[in-house]
Amino acid sequence: MNPPLARLLTRLYPRRWRERYGAEFEAFLQTGPGGFGTSMNVICSALYEHIVPTQGGNMNPNPNSFRAILKHPSAFLPLAMSLTALGVLFVAAIYGILHGAHGIIRQPDEGTAAHLWQLLMAGQLPVLLFFAIKWLPRAPRQTLYVLALQAGAALASMAPVFLLGL
Amino acid sequence: MGHYSDPPLLVLASLANGPRHGHAMIEDIVRLCGTRLGPGTLYGAIARLEQQGWIEPLPPEDRRQPYRITAEGVRVLHARLTTLRQFAKAGLKRLEAL
Repeated sequence: MNPPLARLLTRLYPRRWRERYGAEFEAFLQTGPGGFGTSMNVICSALYEHIVPTQGGNMNPNPNSFRAILKHPSAFLPLAMSLTALGVLFVAAIYGILHGAHGIIRQPDEGTAAHLWQLLMAGQLPVLLFFAIKWLPRAPRQTLYVLALQAGAALASMAPVFLLGL
Repeated sequence: MGHYSDPPLLVLASLANGPRHGHAMIEDIVRLCGTRLGPGTLYGAIARLEQQGWIEPLPPEDRRQPYRITAEGVRVLHARLTTLRQFAKAGLKRLEAL
């Protein structure tokens, strides 16, 4: 089908449908045969989409978008683990202050808080690796944003340990 | 009566044989049951199946967008085909009785 006709037919669909499928549908039409029957099929389908919208018009965005990727467990688990590790440090510091020390009470064998922190930080590495291997080929840019967010959370959790020499 | 046509089911059945892009799905469905889906019908089915989480897109290849069936999609397809088999079996049994 010639590109101007493919573009025109794609524009018959509702905006929300086009935002998700417009580009690939237009490419699909351009690489396929044209003809009256094909055009009529697209016109009828576009009309149907206006009358009975997919998902009532509340279509999920592209599954490879930043927000969609962030909803996957392998994306948010490392973030949650880093923030939990930061929380462990915070709770340990509060506990130390309440018991008369000026921060975290140092124990000879590092203590429960330190072990928890280490487990949380080390435990997220395989998840991070899995996430990067799975998503980098699919959506490189969005995956890099999520990885940057995960790295930021990990650094935020590590910063007090190294800055305060815990 | 024409060819069997339930576009979402046909798309699921086509993807059960491996990931495919739109044109490959159309040709596979023609081989499967003789029905040639139009581009609008095909993408209507793809959109609904994807939004329900029964198929998912793979990284684009050139200008083509391949899709694959999800585990939930396999479960749904299995259930639908089982129902169809029971329906066909019951229908044929009634015909034998004629």
